[in-house]
Parts: sequence; structure tokens; C-alpha cells
Amino acid sequence: MARFLFHRFWQSVVLLFIVSLIGFVVLNMIPGGPLSQFALDASMTQEDVDRIARQLGLDRPLLFRYFDWSWKLVQGDWGTSFRDGTPVLHVIGRHLPATLLLMGTSTVISFVLGAWIGIRGATHRYSGFDYAATIGAMVALSIPTFWFGLVGIYIFSLKLGWLPAGNMYTIGDQSLLNYLHHLILPSLVLSLVTVATWSRYIRTAVLDVISQDFIKTARAKGVSERRVLMRHVVGNALLPIIALAGMQVPALLGGALVTETVFTWPGMGRLFLDSLGYSDYPVVMGLLMLSAILTLIGNLLADIVIAVVDPRVRLS
Amino acid sequence: MNSSAVQSRRGTTPVPTPHRWWHGRAVRRFARHRLALIGIFMITALTLVCAVGPYFLPYDSLFIDLRARFAPPFSGLHFLGTDPLGRDQAARLLEAGRISLLVGLLAMLMSTTLGSAVGLVAGYYGGRVGAVLMRLVDAFLAFPSIFLVLALAALLQPSPTMITVIIAVTSWMEVARIVEAEVRSVREREFVLAGRMLGLRGSHIMFREILPNVMGPIIVAATLTIARAILLEAYVSFLGYGIQPPLPSWGNMLNGAQQYLSTAPWLAIVPGLTITIAVTSLNFIGDGLRDALDVRGDHTAG
Amino acid sequence: MTRRSALKLLGLAGTASIFAPHLLGKPAFAKPAEPTGRIVVGLSQEPTVFNPLMAKIEVDDGIHFSVFDALFRVMPDGKFVPNLAAEVPTVENGGLSQDGLQWRVKLREGVKWHDGRPFTAEDVKFTLELIVDPAFRSWRTAGHNLVRDITVVSPTEITWRMSQPFAPYMSFLAETFIVPKHVLEPESDRNKAAFNQAPIGTGAFKWGRRVAGDHIELVANREYHGEGPYVDRLIFKYIPDLMVLYAQFKSGDIDLVGRQYITADNYQEAKTLKGRETVLQPSPMVEGIYLNQERPFFKERAVREAIYAAIDKKSIIDALYYGLPEPVESYMPRGSVYYNHDLPKHEFNIQKAAKLLDEAGWKKGSDGIRVKDGVRLSFNNSTTSGNHLREQAQQFIQQTLREAGVEMKISNLPAAVIWGDFWTLSQFDSVIVGINYLVGSDPDVYNRFHSGAIRAKGGRGSNTAQYSNPEVDKLLEEGARTFDQARRIEIYKQVQARVREDLPYLPMFSENVVRGWKSDIKEVESNSNTRTEAWNAAAWYREA
Repeated sequence: MARFLFHRFWQSVVLLFIVSLIGFVVLNMIPGGPLSQFALDASMTQEDVDRIARQLGLDRPLLFRYFDWSWKLVQGDWGTSFRDGTPVLHVIGRHLPATLLLMGTSTVISFVLGAWIGIRGATHRYSGFDYAATIGAMVALSIPTFWFGLVGIYIFSLKLGWLPAGNMYTIGDQSLLNYLHHLILPSLVLSLVTVATWSRYIRTAVLDVISQDFIKTARAKGVSERRVLMRHVVGNALLPIIALAGMQVPALLGGALVTETVFTWPGMGRLFLDSLGYSDYPVVMGLLMLSAILTLIGNLLADIVIAVVDPRVRLS
Repeated sequence: MNSSAVQSRRGTTPVPTPHRWWHGRAVRRFARHRLALIGIFMITALTLVCAVGPYFLPYDSLFIDLRARFAPPFSGLHFLGTDPLGRDQAARLLEAGRISLLVGLLAMLMSTTLGSAVGLVAGYYGGRVGAVLMRLVDAFLAFPSIFLVLALAALLQPSPTMITVIIAVTSWMEVARIVEAEVRSVREREFVLAGRMLGLRGSHIMFREILPNVMGPIIVAATLTIARAILLEAYVSFLGYGIQPPLPSWGNMLNGAQQYLSTAPWLAIVPGLTITIAVTSLNFIGDGLRDALDVRGDHTAG
Repeated sequence: MTRRSALKLLGLAGTASIFAPHLLGKPAFAKPAEPTGRIVVGLSQEPTVFNPLMAKIEVDDGIHFSVFDALFRVMPDGKFVPNLAAEVPTVENGGLSQDGLQWRVKLREGVKWHDGRPFTAEDVKFTLELIVDPAFRSWRTAGHNLVRDITVVSPTEITWRMSQPFAPYMSFLAETFIVPKHVLEPESDRNKAAFNQAPIGTGAFKWGRRVAGDHIELVANREYHGEGPYVDRLIFKYIPDLMVLYAQFKSGDIDLVGRQYITADNYQEAKTLKGRETVLQPSPMVEGIYLNQERPFFKERAVREAIYAAIDKKSIIDALYYGLPEPVESYMPRGSVYYNHDLPKHEFNIQKAAKLLDEAGWKKGSDGIRVKDGVRLSFNNSTTSGNHLREQAQQFIQQTLREAGVEMKISNLPAAVIWGDFWTLSQFDSVIVGINYLVGSDPDVYNRFHSGAIRAKGGRGSNTAQYSNPEVDKLLEEGARTFDQARRIEIYKQVQARVREDLPYLPMFSENVVRGWKSDIKEVESNSNTRTEAWNAAAWYREA
């Protein structure tokens, strides 16, 4: 196990290096750059723009800049934003809580909802509910999340006026109720895809358990079927669920980006789009590295769990 | 392998009927899968409508008529209403369908080919080659795909060809992974060992012997890749980085629609519904294929 | 530029106003005695630069105008009023020397920074020196780099010398906000100072806090030396989507709509909203289609005229832009004294376009597109992707041009890409762009139309259309040397006439932005000499 972890750690480092190199090169090759925002400003001269380019270090060769950036990165200096000069980690840190709130709430919702649907579907196999749930899951996986968000805004905000159309809270009202009010629609939209995945997975897991002997034994003994079911489902399915959760990380990050766009949510997805639009390279690279790291950790967790659960799988 | 024997009533020797592929076991299993059939029906209908429909509609998708802007559905012959430039929504929807479906299909072909090739080579040769290739796959997988797509779209001129390439570049990894796993398990089977002993070349074994046996998972992955590609194209175009006007695509029709959500909601509802229908049918088909071809589900499926 | 003449321009531009420390000299009847209430300004771009001397864009200005003061401020009518200065320096009051090179500025007494320390002439000296510090990432240095020998005579008096006459310097100073020496000087790297995230100024509002990606809160400075403030909290809220911005204005979440204001399609409805003021405000931005003069087909004037005639300007303005903008033939803002009223009016006439092209030798090919000497009349048109109204206009223009046998292909790019080398080095075929041609109110457009201003040919400036007309060159050179206003008016009207004739760019319209705010907010005024709607937030108050 230790050898495996050691191996994986170094593999991840190499991967991060490759990812960062490709990302850095692609970003810097995009024509335009962070100075285009000044192009139409009549009062700025070409000398001013050139000077700022020099001060931002953009006049140095690409590979040199890459090594400079990555060397600082390993030492913990993720660079400073081109736009407001604050350290990239601070910038990301400011937006992180909003995304975590959204992702966390939607994970809870999708787990609870997914579990309920999955268990119900498994215990009432081939019923109308089960059939509807299966079809519903597949449709849910096919709906473009951003469109679902737009429709949600249209129905619940514009037409019915029940829920707000965006933002995290109304200015001046920082009550918990206000936060929750704003959280409902975005987190539901974000959980659309994950509910579908979870429900199908849990259904399969429960079906696996149901068909096994100890259930029949328990039934014969008169023990409450439900209690046995739950205990064994939880016992057997828990670890794979963690594995599944680990592998959902990139999808969740991508989904958060979509949802934050549609709902004007001040999270990391919003930050990514804004920074890309302004060619704020340090922040974009910072976000890229962060999500790559999170993805790798998620995958690692999943692989460890799978290995623990199924000893046949070689940890190579 | 799957010939059906016909028993004559009088108990004479059975006469084998010629093997037709639609008698195959897989096909019969597929045919029993109701949802998959519905999926096939829907996607075929949609493709046909997009391909020939525009010729039957009264309006051209490009014709701008500023006097007929924002007409709601069923105003005159505008069955689905008009857009902010007065162009017929129905015509644009079908025109967009051609592009979105084509992009999805081509992206799938590209990524499946690339992914299968990488997976085959990595799985068959294993060792160093395999490890390096799979690390490459992992590196691409560690990239949040949205980032790669957006950054590439900002870098390269967004034409339908470029978008197709970009989507393909971000979708081949799944296929490679699946194929590599399958090839590794098939590698030790007898017919492969036999081939090796016979001195057949590696590439011959890979493409003639192994590939046909792993087609199952590849086909399932391919179907799901089209679905993903259509969604990805929609998202990228919605953000404004994908297919550019005046070329319509389902995604960029949504991009223009968000600001008119309160006054002209049909502009947003119709394209989104169409995307959902297309992707759902592909998912149904993929599910049916998975059952029919007896493919074990991957944790990452769906 | 001679010293006498520069001086005259300075005199023309400035008016000494000894008695008006207010931003608006209106009687204060209904104004609250203590700052109360709150105003939420909605913006569709996020302000991220809070040090007013650093490189910034328009949307950052709102915060700077509220948190900081400058030596002077410029009023909507172009007059200067003193802000941190005690009076506007002129030759009469001894503030300016006869040749316009020596400046002596007297400063107000008793002004305090937000942290309580007194404001002195040292701060002004520090500010002017910081701007030209090569290690500091400053915004623009024009004018400031001509300042020499800054001397602090006393805590309320400062002098300096200009190395050469520079007429616009007064208006530049009106946008140069003074920063505190005692906070910034000790910092080794001013680009990364903590001050940049929590600025300290002398303005009507103090820095409150920033919720990144969401909003910025400013708090009333109750010890402000000038008039106001009358609201306790001034909040700038960031809403990237214009539809949501308008929706929040409608629902009341936002009190005042800032950039990019209200979209044209919402104007009609906005006018009917109860409790809201909706006003059309002329903007100096002129929208036009730039044609790259180095492209073979654009070299012929007949082609340019034909294309202009094949554009249905009226329908675009009336239908797509809901009639809000004004069609124009000139790049000069209509309110300017230099505006040329006699330019030929545009006429949408496809037959005329066809005739022009036929006569020039462009015959329609088999696919309906005109060809001449093997060159097809087919070009790309680009603009910022995501700008829906422009995209719609493009597609409409594409259709009408096709009828005349011209093929225009659309190829849009994201803002960060299109305004890079693609624009500055003239790599485009044609671009739809909105430009404010003037800096301040000076009519000099050397930067835009002189042949020496073509960067793609090694020059310096923004003549991205690569326009070159020796007659115009001479006129522009003369205009920069002349200080007789009557002569200048003549010169610049001629420039407009030549440019209109040559059509290096096709003038479309002059924007009118839709501004909206809640009716109980008073003293909201537009000022086309500044770039922000919050230039006088200190004077705003909410009627009880």
C-alpha cells in the first residue's frame, strides 16, 4: 500500500507537470492577452501599453515564463492576478466558499434524493416507480444543465416569482433564510446530473445485496428486512460510493461552472470565465492547477477504495 | 456461430437457414429493449427531419425579416415563432440540427478512432509503451475538460471544424481507457496466443483479432460519446466560444435567447428541448447496446 | 506647440471658481442633515483596481471618484472646479505663468485622509512622482512625464514646471486622484501594497469592504471637506448578465444602473416602470465599420461608397436598436462646437450600390458575388463575440450586401483577442467598433487619421484602418499647431468632410445609453467628460 501511494504520488506530480505545461502554453498562445482591454482607451498610448507589458513580465520568452511560474508554484507562490494585483491563492480563496457551498448543498441533495430513488426502485423492482425513475434518470443525464437552469429561472423566478433569479444573497439581508432562498434553485439544478447517477448506482448496489443469501436468512428469521437491508447496503456499498464520489469531482467542477454562469453565483466557475475573458493568466493557471489537483485526489481516493474492496484488482 | 436451425414438423434433418445479422443474439436482445427502440426511432426521425425538413418549410433559415421579429409560435406559418431578426425558428432549428448532429457524429468518429488506437496499442503491448500512453491519457483526464475546450476555442478560430476537433480532443480518453482495459483482458486468450505463435505481426493481431472482440464496449462508448459531444457543443456555443453566427447550432441559439427569456421564452425552450430529445435517444440506444452486447458497466458510465 | 498658445488653450478650458467647493452648486433644501440610507449601483463588469493610479478600465472609475479626490474636477459643461486645490490656477490668479510652463497650485486646508492624518502638498508630490516611477504599473503617463522640479513650498502650496507646454494637462489632472504618501511610500513594492485592496483617500466615501465577485461597499466619510455625502452606504454590485441587471433594477434590488446600462430592447418597458427615472443619455461613442484600406477591394473609393449605400442604417437603428441611437456621418460628438452639420446624408439604395460597382468594373459572377481581375468581392467582418445587437446587425448587413453582390463573412472573436494585435496591427478585413474619438473635448484626431499613426506600417497611433490622405495629414498637422478657435473649427470641419468623402470607415450611429435609477434618488446627472455614472455620488441623496 505504501509503495502504491508513493508510486501514485510521483505519477501525480508528473501528470500535474504535463497538465501545467500544456495549459500554460495554450493560454499564452491565445492572441490578444491581458492588455487588449486598454486597446480602445483613447488616453493610453502605445508606450503605456508596452510599459505595462514589461511590468507584468509578458515580454519575456514563453518557456522562461513557464519555468519562472512553475518554480514559484512549487514554493507556494501561485503568482498575482493581473487585474487586481492580489495573490492568486487569495483570489481563489475568496471565491472558494461560494462554490463549496453550492457543491456541498447539491451533493447532499443528490445523495439523499438519489438514495431514496435508488432504494425505492430496487425494493419495488419493475414497478411503475422504478420504470419512471430509470427513464427519468436517463432524461436527466441528457438535459443540458445550463438550459435546465434557464428554464428554472423562467418558471420559478420570472413567472411565479417564488425564487430569486441569481446571486447568493440580497444586499443588506444576510440572514440564513435569504441565503437558503437563493441557494435552492442553483443547487437543485447542479444536482440534476448527480441525482441521476447516484440513483442508478444505488439501485444496482441494493439489488446486489437483496439477491444475496443473508437477506433470505434474515427474512426467514423474521428480522426486519429493512434494517438488515440498510445495514448491509451501507456496509457493502459505502466504500464504492466513496469511489464514485471521488470520480465525480471533475464533473462536479464542470457543472458548478455552468450553474454559476447561469445564476450569477460568485464562485470559482464565475472567476474562471471572467479571468479567461480578461486573459488574467495567473488566475486561470491557478484554477487549472487546483482543479487538476482535486481531480487527481478524487481519482486516487477512488482507486484506493476500489483496491481495498476488491483484492483482485492489482494496484499497479 | 448464430445460425438458427429450423425444425420441420415432420422431424426431418434440420436445414440451417443462412445467417443474417439481424438474427443475431445481440440484435434480438436489443430489439427486446423497448427504450432502445424508442431511442432509435427518435434519433432517426430527428436526423431525417433535420436533413430534409428545411426543404419542406415555407421559410428559409437565413432570411431576415425585421418586420416579423419575435413572433410567438404559430403566428402565420412560423410554426415555432421567429427570432430577433425575424428568421423562422423552425427552419433555423433544423438547420442547426444538421450542424450540431454532424459535429457530434464527426467528433465521435475522431475521438473513438483515436481512443481505440491508443487503447489497443497500450493494452496489447503493455509494459513501458502502455504505461506511457496511459499516463498521457491520465494527464488529459486530469484537465477539466471545460478548461481545455474554452481555452482551445479562444485560441483557434471557432469554426465548426475546429469545434469538432476540440471536442474530439477532450473525449478520446474515456474510449482509450475502456479499450485498454478490455484489450488487457483479451490479450491472454487462446486465439491471441495462437496468433502470436503463428508469427503474425502485432498490428495484424491487434486489428484483425483483438479489435473485433472489443467492438462491443467501443460501440457503447461511441454512442455515449455522441451524446456528450452534442451537450459539449451546446455548452461551448452557449458561452459564445463555439459555433459563431450566422451559422446556427442548437447551442448558439440558446446563447442569443437568454436575454429574451421573459419576453420570448420560446427562443430558449425549443432548442433546449430538441437537444434533450436528441441526447436522450442516444442514451437510450447506448443503454440498449450495453445490455445487448453484454458489456459490463463501468463506474464512470453515464 | 508654443507656450502662448498652450496657455490660451488652458485659459479656454479652465474657469477660476473661487467660491465653489461643491460638486454641484445647488441649494440644499431636501438634503438630509446626516448621511442616511443606501444606494446600490449595478455594474455588468467587476471593478478590480482600487489604486486610482494603476492601469484600469472605465468601470473602476466609479470607486475612484468616490473614495478619492483630485486637484480639480470637471463639470458636465466642461468647466473645471477646484477639489483638493483651493482654486483653479490661471494666469490671472498667479497659478500659471504666462508661458503656461510654471504651475503654482494652492491646496485646501483642513483636509484629512480617511485614517485621520492631514492631507498636504507632500501627498501631491508623491502622487505625481509615483505615476512616472518606471517600476510602478501606472495607467497613463502622458502629461505627467513632462513635469519637473516639483517643489513643496508649504503644506498647502506646491509648484512645478512643465518641460514643454501641454494643453490637456488640466483635464488630465482632473482625473488624477491623489494618494496618501504616508501609506504608500513605506511599501517596497507599491504594485502589491495592501493599500491596493483597502484604499485610503480623501473622498466622500471610505472603503468599506469587498466581497469578490459580488459587490463592493463604501461607507460615508462624515468628515468630508466638500459637499455631501448624503447616503450612508454606496454599494457597487457586480452582475455580469445584462438581462439579470435589468431584472434586478425592475425588482428594486438595484437602485441605479451603471455600465453597461439598460439594453435597448428594455427601454420601452423601463420608461413605464413606476418609481423609476429612465433617461436617454448621449454618449460620445460613435459606432462604425472600419475598412482596412490595404485590402485590394477597399482601395477603391467606389467600393467603399457602394458598400455604404448597401447598408440599411435606418432599419438597423429603428428595428435592432429600437430607435435609440442617432444616425451620424461624422466621428465628432454632435454637441461639440467642431461638429460639421453639412456632411452628405447616407441613403440606403441597393440599385445605386450596384451601379457604382458595375461602373467600377465589378461584375457579378455566377454565384452572385462580384468579381474583378480575378478578385472576388468577399471579405470578413469581425466584432466582439457575445455582443448580440452587433451580431444581429452583422447578419442583417450581410443579407443586404449580398443583394448588391458583395459577400461579407462574419468571424467574431472574444474581446481579449479582437482588441489585441488583430486590431492594433490592422490584421482585420473589417471591424464593427464603437470608438470615442476625442480625448476630453479636444478635436485633435491625429492619432486616428494621420498616416503617421499607422502601427502596421511602423508608425505610432491608432489609425488601424490604415487611412492615408496627404490633404488630411496637412490639415491635422496644422490643427495641432493652431490656437485660434475659429481657424481650428474650420480645419476640423474640413477633416470631417474629407473623411466622410473617403469613407475609411463607415459611420453608423452615435450611441444613446439608457440610464435608469429610482425616482427618489436626486442629483443624478450625466457627465460626458468622465467615464462613470458615479462621478458625483457625493451629491446624491434619497428623498425621504
